[in-house]
Amino acid sequence: MLHFFDAAVIGGGVVGSAIARELSRYELSIAVLEENPDVVCEASGRNSAVVHGGFAYDRGSLKARFCVEGNRMMDELSTQLGFRFIRCGKVLVGNTDEDLRQLERTMAQGFDNGATGLELIDGKRLHELVPAVNGSFAMLSSSSGIMDPFLFTINLAENAAENGARYFLSHKVISIARKDGRYLIHTAEDDFSVRWLFNAAGKGAKDISDMLGITGYRVIGSKGNYLVLDKRLGPLLPMPVYPVPSNTYMGIHVTPTVDGNVTVGPDAINTDDFGYYGVPADRMEYLRESASTLWPHIDRKDVIRTFSGILAKWVDDKGVIQDFRIEVRDDIAPGAVNLIGIESPGLTAAVPMARYAISLLRDRFDLEERKDFDPVHATAKRFAEMTSEEKAAAIAGDSRYGSLVCSCEEVTEAEVIRAIHNPLGVHTMTGIKYRTRAMMGGCQAGFCQMKIEQLLEKELGIAPEDVRYLRDSSWVLAGKMREG
Amino acid sequence: MSERKDAVIIGGGPAGLAAAVALDNLGIHDIVILERESQLGGILRQCIHDGFGLQRFGESLSGPEYAERFISEVRRRGIEYHTDATVISLTEDRKVEAVTPSGLLGYSAKAVVLAMGCRERSRGSIMIPGERPSGVFTAGSAQAYMNLYNRMPGREAVILGSGDIGLIMARRLTLEGIRVKAVFEIQDHPNGLDRNIVQCLDDYGIPLYLRHTVTDIHGGSRLEGVTVSEVDERCVPIKGTEKLYPCDTLILSVGLRPDNGLLKDAGIAIDPRTDGAIVDEHLMTSIPGVFSSGNVLHVHDLADFVSLESEHLAASVAAYLSGGLGSGMDVSVRCGSGVGHTVPQKVVSDDGFTLSLRVRSVMRDAVISVSQGGRRIVEKKMRKANPAEMIMIDIPGGSVCPDGDLEVVAG
Amino acid sequence: MKRTLTCIICPNGCSLEVEKEGEEITVKGNLCRRGAEYAREELTAPKRTISSSMRLIGGDMEIVSVRLDRPVPKEMIFPVMDAIKSASAEAPVHIGDVLLHDVLSTGADVIATRNAERKEGR
Repeated sequence: MLHFFDAAVIGGGVVGSAIARELSRYELSIAVLEENPDVVCEASGRNSAVVHGGFAYDRGSLKARFCVEGNRMMDELSTQLGFRFIRCGKVLVGNTDEDLRQLERTMAQGFDNGATGLELIDGKRLHELVPAVNGSFAMLSSSSGIMDPFLFTINLAENAAENGARYFLSHKVISIARKDGRYLIHTAEDDFSVRWLFNAAGKGAKDISDMLGITGYRVIGSKGNYLVLDKRLGPLLPMPVYPVPSNTYMGIHVTPTVDGNVTVGPDAINTDDFGYYGVPADRMEYLRESASTLWPHIDRKDVIRTFSGILAKWVDDKGVIQDFRIEVRDDIAPGAVNLIGIESPGLTAAVPMARYAISLLRDRFDLEERKDFDPVHATAKRFAEMTSEEKAAAIAGDSRYGSLVCSCEEVTEAEVIRAIHNPLGVHTMTGIKYRTRAMMGGCQAGFCQMKIEQLLEKELGIAPEDVRYLRDSSWVLAGKMREG
Repeated sequence: MSERKDAVIIGGGPAGLAAAVALDNLGIHDIVILERESQLGGILRQCIHDGFGLQRFGESLSGPEYAERFISEVRRRGIEYHTDATVISLTEDRKVEAVTPSGLLGYSAKAVVLAMGCRERSRGSIMIPGERPSGVFTAGSAQAYMNLYNRMPGREAVILGSGDIGLIMARRLTLEGIRVKAVFEIQDHPNGLDRNIVQCLDDYGIPLYLRHTVTDIHGGSRLEGVTVSEVDERCVPIKGTEKLYPCDTLILSVGLRPDNGLLKDAGIAIDPRTDGAIVDEHLMTSIPGVFSSGNVLHVHDLADFVSLESEHLAASVAAYLSGGLGSGMDVSVRCGSGVGHTVPQKVVSDDGFTLSLRVRSVMRDAVISVSQGGRRIVEKKMRKANPAEMIMIDIPGGSVCPDGDLEVVAG
Repeated sequence: MKRTLTCIICPNGCSLEVEKEGEEITVKGNLCRRGAEYAREELTAPKRTISSSMRLIGGDMEIVSVRLDRPVPKEMIFPVMDAIKSASAEAPVHIGDVLLHDVLSTGADVIATRNAERKEGR
């Protein structure tokens, strides 16, 4: 089937969804083509979930500019889109004279980049802020914070969808042809004819760029492994703790999550396999040992999960990591905005980056603003966060609020059912997990996965063998045991 | 809006049901059971294999039949219970709040019985390396999919861990036509009962490899296979011994832990060795009037022992409610050499009690001794002591004195 | 001929020393009489019992748990499983109800091990 749209966004991750949302401010028909069955399957959902201050990037870089802008914007985005963001600050801790000099350089770079709330603090202040940390002094970045990376991305996407953008999940782009002033995009499912397109394919951006004829980019994968620790530890860590950084790598850090867990990581291993997220045994040990030098509470017993993410970094011939590249090549691919090397701080920078990408198109074409764009994504308060009175009222209104599906995270049947009928049409088990937190708790889905699987079957009217976990071929069950 | 109760029992599995019936027998009728599932019975509902009840009823029953013995008693006596009722808060002054489809239930209880059972250790908690495909199930999840929901978890399976649920599942999967390639156990001894090795593995020609563990998981979508390695005496994988087992299903039977989330919220002192509450010989926790028994206190081998322990708990609760609970001492129970943990962890009276413990390693011709200040109280000789089997020793009334720790050693 | 067996009758799992001389079988290591019976049977005609699930029509859930009321010869395990797989029960069903009588002429009945009430409209 061939669809006609004004614009296509290739990639529905945080950057693609930010572009779709910002683009839906204009009178355009928009298609988002995502190869996975959900929008948080790759880097957007596989990171430290830190909102960065903007001090760690080269002066004058797009990374620095969009990071600082994104940081400033985050309170407003959090309110509009209804994802959790906590401006808790973060510390970079040091011990040696060399550490101190590096922190001074980092701070100076931060000032030049426009980052705010930076100060050097002594050991006493450091230990007031983070009692158990190992370190003699630190740079405090009080504008830094933590967020829910899943719901930031998902709610950007849902807000885009509410404003008319259409999401085509499980639509992997196979080829792109230029014909009669339009792009013909051939995917594993349908075909799309569009006037404009955005390449926001993240780890696949180089391939899309090649399809557009913009060749020659060298992109490497940098894989980061993480441990996730039990909620017992969240209260012991008020803010992320980082080592002294270099300009290309932040170092292994310990980070509280907005839900009270703690993540440990990432290391940074070069890879050219963008599809392999396995976490090796030696890396787990290395993370634990390395981060224990910063913070002493990391015990194997508290590890509830591991995960990894892969950043697609644009490098030069010598392998030196480059800035974000956001371009329109009028000579090769007119009307196509090409985003290459989008890595950290992509989460923080997503919205300003999206606006910049759209501005490149607006410089060249007339885009008419819509009058009815609504930047607010309505979200319901989570049951777990309600007061007793609110809970009672919620149950009185809908008895499914009185059925707990996940007791670790206190997620109700009403919330799971709403997540199943999400506006993007995501129907995976992990889709429910990222939207509700069910299955993310201490028992790691031991009790609730069966109930969620059953609800998916019932609500969607599908057979057990058609339920998927994360990817299109990740079947969960082989079928019924007794047929009839 | 909170209703007063003599006792609120959290959990309607083997522990909660036995406690409720025993309390009723003792004349405590103003009680309520709160169960989060839609039926009473707890984990027994999915344990359809037989072997339950030999200790308690002298006959071999399936899990649901064993549970029904207690459930029918609860019904017959008209003991109040709520299913689909998940407790979300417990406070120090014994206020209990539960969520149900018909609204919130609030109780103000003279006594609270914690009987929430246990949960399985997950893949993350034992840090198995590799990718994260679908097809990795805890044994209990696979068991629930099959025995409660009529769903097949896969076609070709490997089982990690030789706990009883893993062994039982090996047989169950085989009978349903799922090929079980092998069971791997990291320790040098099986973790399940010998009879289950015979009737669940040997009968079906399923090999059990001791000192082996899964060292890598393959598959970006659905599980495609696992790498298994031999391990040395310290359970560290030996390089060069890796072997690939293609399979679409990995069943984990790697241990149970008390489901102690509610304890943490209530600020009840937890023993890091059991992950359950620290209790005295009356099974009372660090919060007066809050008692605990069954698998949320410490993981048992048999449901029968859970029932027996909960009946003992009921006697303590009854004594507490009438103000007749023994007290006056503050003696700690110390785990000496060879002993992994004990329940109780402290003794507050000279009432007799049952001391439960697990040894740290397999011992032949073992002697378990309980002493206080060098004075031996009880000694138990065993042909074989095994960490997989809970050991129970009766401590007679009047044998513990107020001075000095109680020391338990095994060797 | 000497053999060591693990008794499967109860969780004690006694280690049984079994000696067979002609028709004479002696058993040592058993804590109870049933252990000796088990060992003799295991040497001559081993038997096992089965627990499984049967399709349930009109009930609260799709299946009802079942077991055999007595052991059957080991070689009958899979044939009996096939019989259970192709049978179905109609709700209501109560514990102990015979769902398959004298299954495959083994003398064993397949009995229900949980109560399943009738649920209308399913």
